[in-house]
Order: sequence, then structure tokens, then C-alpha cells
Amino acid sequence: MKIAVVVQRYGQAVNGGAELHARYVAEHLARHGQVEVLTTCATDYVTWRNELLAGVEQVNGVAVRRFKVKHERDPLVFGKRSDRVFEQLHSLGDELDWLDAEGPTSPALVDYINTHASDYDYFLFFSYRYYHAYYGARAAGARAILVPTAERDETIGLSIFQPLFRSVRAIMYNSPEERALIQAVSGNETVPGVVVGVGSDVPNNPQAGRFRQKYNIRGPFAVYVGRIDQNKGCKELFEFFQGYLRDPSGKLSLILIGNTLLPIPEHKRIRHLGFLDDTDKFDAMAAAEALIMPSYYESLSMVALEAWALGRPVLANGKCDVLKGQCLRSNAGLFYETLGEFIGTLEAIEQNRWLAGSLGRNGRQYFRDNYDWPVIERKYLEMFERLKKDGTPPAADPLPGWFDRRRQDLPAAQDVLAKLPKGPVWRRG
Amino acid sequence: MPDFNVRSDSVNVEQIMEQIRVRIREKRGVDYTEQQIRELAAVKLEKFLDPRGVRSDLLDQFRKAQPPYEPPELPNFAFEDATLFESHRAPIRWMRKLLMPLLKLLFNPNPLIQALHIQSRLNAINAERDAKRESARRAMDQLYYELVHNLVVETTRTGIEVKNLKMRVESISSRLEFNERRARALESAVVYKAADQDETPAQRPAPQVPQPRQQQAPQPRYTPPQQPPSYPAPSQAAPAAPAAVATPVAPQGQPTQGAVPGQVPGAPGEGPGQRSRRRRRRRGRRGGGSAAAVMGAAGSGASEAPADGQESIDAVDQMDAMDRMDDDGSPESEETHDAAVERVEEASIAEAEVRQAESAAEGSRVEQAEPPRVEAPSEPRPVEAPPEPAPAEAPRETPHEPSQEPPHVAAPPAEPAPAPTAAPDHGDHDPK
Repeated sequence: MKIAVVVQRYGQAVNGGAELHARYVAEHLARHGQVEVLTTCATDYVTWRNELLAGVEQVNGVAVRRFKVKHERDPLVFGKRSDRVFEQLHSLGDELDWLDAEGPTSPALVDYINTHASDYDYFLFFSYRYYHAYYGARAAGARAILVPTAERDETIGLSIFQPLFRSVRAIMYNSPEERALIQAVSGNETVPGVVVGVGSDVPNNPQAGRFRQKYNIRGPFAVYVGRIDQNKGCKELFEFFQGYLRDPSGKLSLILIGNTLLPIPEHKRIRHLGFLDDTDKFDAMAAAEALIMPSYYESLSMVALEAWALGRPVLANGKCDVLKGQCLRSNAGLFYETLGEFIGTLEAIEQNRWLAGSLGRNGRQYFRDNYDWPVIERKYLEMFERLKKDGTPPAADPLPGWFDRRRQDLPAAQDVLAKLPKGPVWRRG
Repeated sequence: MPDFNVRSDSVNVEQIMEQIRVRIREKRGVDYTEQQIRELAAVKLEKFLDPRGVRSDLLDQFRKAQPPYEPPELPNFAFEDATLFESHRAPIRWMRKLLMPLLKLLFNPNPLIQALHIQSRLNAINAERDAKRESARRAMDQLYYELVHNLVVETTRTGIEVKNLKMRVESISSRLEFNERRARALESAVVYKAADQDETPAQRPAPQVPQPRQQQAPQPRYTPPQQPPSYPAPSQAAPAAPAAVATPVAPQGQPTQGAVPGQVPGAPGEGPGQRSRRRRRRRGRRGGGSAAAVMGAAGSGASEAPADGQESIDAVDQMDAMDRMDDDGSPESEETHDAAVERVEEASIAEAEVRQAESAAEGSRVEQAEPPRVEAPSEPRPVEAPPEPAPAEAPRETPHEPSQEPPHVAAPPAEPAPAPTAAPDHGDHDPK
């Protein structure tokens, strides 16, 4: 069995969520078959500049074939086109222009898939929103399997992706919420799909004391791991945590791990350690009282899964359906939407040792049952087997014609998004 | 588990979250989510307005001035790729279709079709956008109206509150002034007694105070030329009382002569009936003309009475001054007045205690920071005269006994100049 993993960026230094997800999956599937990664020469997701050499190289024992990006992203053009398709009545042509402006535009990659599709059994396309997935899935035809990593943002409301969700051979969802979202927007219930997610290589014996000693950290603390960005909810996190600090009963500090795009509030109980390697990251999680996930948009929070794997409770943003659903399904985390809830839940975790311990134990069990690597690998392999037995691939929608591309009758993506169902999917899950 | 209870062994996050929310509601009140706040903000203006709070027809007028918006029907056309060649006559349509290749040979109609098609779409989009803008503008007008209305209401409420506060400030300042004057009068009475006991009766010069009192008090009485020297009216039977009232004055002074040295006249040496007699005397004065009688008695007896007798008269005048200040005719004020008198008397009894109290009085005076007390030593007597007229007395006496108002007004200035530094402070000068 030969599998192609197609992703926008790839490499050990690439730390984006979907990219890391793709790398983990590629490396673990490589134990069960031949895996080749098809990707671009870009490492920066903002510019898509060609920074790596085109050609084939090995990364952790997996062959990686890189293709040039035709042009870098122009932020001004991309911004204008985003405004157009997200907020106004527009045409299919506008959406295709937006996709081209978003990048990474790599016709060479699509051409390769088109000409070598028969060389692979399946193509795993990661991240539905990018150029490579839209055009590559069409080129791969019945061999295309999509790992959408969809979030509840405006992009899901664009019309060009609805045929994509209906025409791929199968979809590997990250969460029940993601599946509900995609099925609601595209009506692809007939397409085979399974909620898989991703595992994580969590060390068996993280050293909390080592972390405290190395970074001179004393006292209890909550940890945030990830890019410190407004889009990740960090601004709200800072506001809420400063509100928590005003409460004299709270003793927790906040430790921030990751590169920052925001100014960090100056307070003796808020510390930013910058980007840490995996060892320190897991040590920090093991030392923390809880992990805070303030993000509004997540298709699957790998950091939350890692915290659960280490037996630590998670405090998540309840405005994110996926995180809220994960907390409810696992019984391993609390969530907040307001300042009062943030303080109340954080104090509950801090002051109630039994509760924190129970949440952590539930999280560890939830991780083992659903996100341990043998479980993930088994789900992928079962899907391949299933597709091998089902010989009827769905018919792909034809590309729109000249008039269809120019008919200004598509609603704004944000209006489409507003009509989609909300809330966690946990009773059914 | 300090904050909430989880009764089952297995954790139920939904249950825990509900308990946390309940606790937050109990502790901090309703905690609105952003969604709830947006819903509240989206409520229409009329739901916000409390009809009881709106006292004008501004809202109706505003609605009349702003009829519901209906977007105008702007002209537009539909233009598709076959529009140019359409016709209701079938042969013509057939001919046009037949000749289409020839037409396309001569020129390319597609750009024209495209342009007109796009223009049609643009017209529709623009019309829709204009309608949206107009409706948004009108919604903003509603919001502005609401803001202005709320501002007007709040400004009115604030104005009323400011007015109320001003009145309260005036009331408090007048009460403060009144209390200051009362305290000053009480202190001056005590100071006088203390200073008096330091001096021997022989050394003490005859007070000059009665003279101005004699000059001031009779003046209003005799200034009107038409006023008879005597008071024949039946309501002026009270002036006959001076004789009766004046007589206790002399006995009041007499015991002081025979009193133990150090005893203040009119205090412990006097009999139990003297206090009630003095009260009766004051009541008689209030009843009419008694002050004049007292003044007359004091004036007439000034040359005859010994210094102690004069002091006792002055003490009575002090008390009268206090009486005028706080007497509103009610039994309570009478009692409080008596209590004040008793305190004054007690204060002036114990000479040794007075000396000890001097130092305390100095301290308390500094603490109280009363300007008149600080200025008293250097100020001549006329400085104390202006605050003496009791404002509460004037309306009570003016309508009934105009002829007796001057003695009441003039009596306090007739007080002898006290020795200001010897004022014992018992810390409770206020009889109330």
C-alpha cells in the first residue's frame, strides 16, 4: 500500500497544528506501508515563500517531495478578496480568486498528482482550505481522502468547498463537531467518514521538578502552550487572568509557552518562557495544575490531548464548540465563557484537589481510549480497507462554466456560517 | 471541597459547571454572556422606555417625523445572453437565430452582452446596498434618539439632585452655625465663672457690662415718642411681673455672699426651689416683659447690689441667652435647657476642678477649632454682639410683643466680658 500525504508545509521545524498532525500521521502510517509526503517548498504560512529546495528528501524516515510555490501571498490582495467573499454577495470566480490569493499556489504539485495519481493507493489531503487540497483532490479523483481540520470560521461558508466535501472518497474528521459542521454545510452524509483525530508522543515520565528548577518556578501555576495570539484567545485570557489575580483567594500563576504576537501583561504572576522544546513543554504540563486553552477556533486541540495524556485537567474556552465538546465527552475539563466562569472554574480546579485529580484521571483514560496511536492507526487502516471494498467512488462535480463563475449570487460566507448549527456534539457522541 | 459539591464518585463536568454557575450567580449576581449582552442591546427602543418615565410625546413625534422606511423601486433591467435576440414573433426569432453566425462574423456581441449583464447585476446590488444603508441609518437615528432622551432624563434627575443637595448644605450650615453659637455661649458662661472665682470680690472691678445693657435695653423701649412710659394694655400685665421676677434676683445673689468661698453663686448654695423659681422667671420673661423687668431690676440694682449679686445676675443672663438660643417652647427644650444650666452651675462649682479642666479645655478648644473661641481673648466685646440675636426668637416674639423684642435682642451683648482662657471644658457643652 502506497499512501501520499499532501500538506501545505512539512518539516520538523514546522509547528502548525495541521502540519504537525500530517507529520505524525505520515510517520505512524509509514510503519504499515509506503508513505510519501507531497508538499511545497514553503515554511512560512503567511508568505508561502520558497525557502526549501524542491525535490525529494527524507524527514524522520519518510520521503518528502517538495514543489515550488508559484507566487507568494500578497496580504493586501488577500485581505481585499477575503472581505469580498466573507462579507458580500459574490461569485464563484471571486472564491477561486480568493483561493489563489491565499496560496500556497503550486500548480506543479497539482500537475504531479494529476500525472502520478495511479502510482498511489490513496492521497491524504490535509487542510481543506488551501490550494493544494481543492485542486489536488480533483486531480487525485477517487483516491482522495480528506483530513479537513475544519474550524468554525468563515472559510467553511465558501461555496467552492461544498463539492469538495461531497466528492472525496472519505473524510477523516478530527471531532464530532467538525463532522456535524461539514455535513451541515455540504450535505455529504453519504461520504464515508470517521472521527479520528491525532495522537501524541507523550513521554512516560515527565519531570515536573526539573522544569521548576530550570526555570526557577515556585508555587502552583496554570500553563498555556501555543502561539500567543489574539486569534488564539490570548487577549481574553490575559484580561480574565488579571481579573483572577484581583481575587485574593487565588494563588495560581500563569506560565506562557510559545512565540508571542501580543504584549504580555507585566505581573509577577504572569511569566512568558518563549518557545520550548518538547521535553520542557511536557515537563511544564506535568508541573502545572491545569492547562488553559483560550482559543475560539479549534478543530482538535492537540495540546489539550497532551495535557490529558499527562493526567492534567484542562480549562477551555466554552465558545469553542470543539473544546467544549471534548471537555463534556471526556469529563476531563471545565470551560468558561465569562470572567466569572473563568475565575470560578479556575478556583475549583485550584482548590479542589479531588476534582482536579478526577478530571486528570478521566482525561488520561479519554486519551487512551480515543487518541492513543494504536487507536489512530487502526482507524486509518480500517478506513483504507473499507474503501478498498467499496468500489463506487462518488462522482465529482464538474468545474463551473464561464457564466457560472461570474454569476454574483453566492451569499457572504459569514451569513452561511451564521446559519450552521452550533454547540458541542456530546450527547450523541 | 470548599466551593461546590460533587456527590458522585465519577465526575460529571456538566453538573460541576452548573454548580459553578449557580455559585457565581449567588456570589456575583447575573453574569451575562456576550451573547446575552448583545441580545439586550438589540432590544427595540420602545422596550427600553418605561412609559412612566417618559413625560412628553417626544417618542410619538419622532415616529411621526420618521415614517417606516420603504426602499424605492429603482428602475433596472434584466440582461441575459439571449436578450438581444429575443422577440415575441417566432419567425423573427428564427431569422435572428439563422443569421446569428453572420452577425458574429461582422462583430462580436459577447462583450456587449457581458457588460450589460454585469451592469444589470451591479444595479441590483447597488440598490440593495443603498436600502441596507438607509435602514441602518434609520436604526442609528433611533439609537441617537434613545441616547438623547436618556441624557435629558439623567440631566434632569441630576439637576434635581443638585438642588436637593444645595438645600441640605444650607440646612446643615445653618445648624452648624447655631450649634457653634450655642457652644460659644455655654463656654463663655463657664469661663466667666471660672475667672470670677480666681478674683476676690473686692478686687474685681464693677462690671461695666450693665451700663451698656442699661443703655441698650431701655433705648428701644423709650425711643418711640408716642409710647407711654407705662403699659396699660391687659396683655402687658406681664411687665408688672418685673417686680415679682426681679425679687428672686436679689435672693439669688444673697446666698452667694454667705456661701462657702469657692462656691459659685446660684449653684450648690442655692436651695432646691431656686432652680424652679428661675425657670418660672424665665417662663415669665418669655410670657412677656420679664426680660425688661430683669433688665430693669439689674439696672436699678447695679449700683446697689454687690459684685456677687451682679455676677449672679450675669449668670442668669447667660442662661437666658442660652435659653433664647435653643428654646422653641417645647418641654424638651426646657428640660435640655435646665440640664445645660445644671451643667454650667456644676462646672462653676468646683474650683479645683476648674483649674484642672483649664488645661483640658485648652486641648479640646484646639481640637474643636472654633474661631470665636480662639479670637475671644483679643477681641473686644462688640465682636460677640452680632451673633447674639437668636433667629428662632424673632418670628415668635415679633407678632405678639413687638415692644419687648429689643430686650431679648439686646440682652446677650450685655454679658460681661469673660476671662476666656479659664474656660473649663467638660467635653459636653451641648445640652442635647
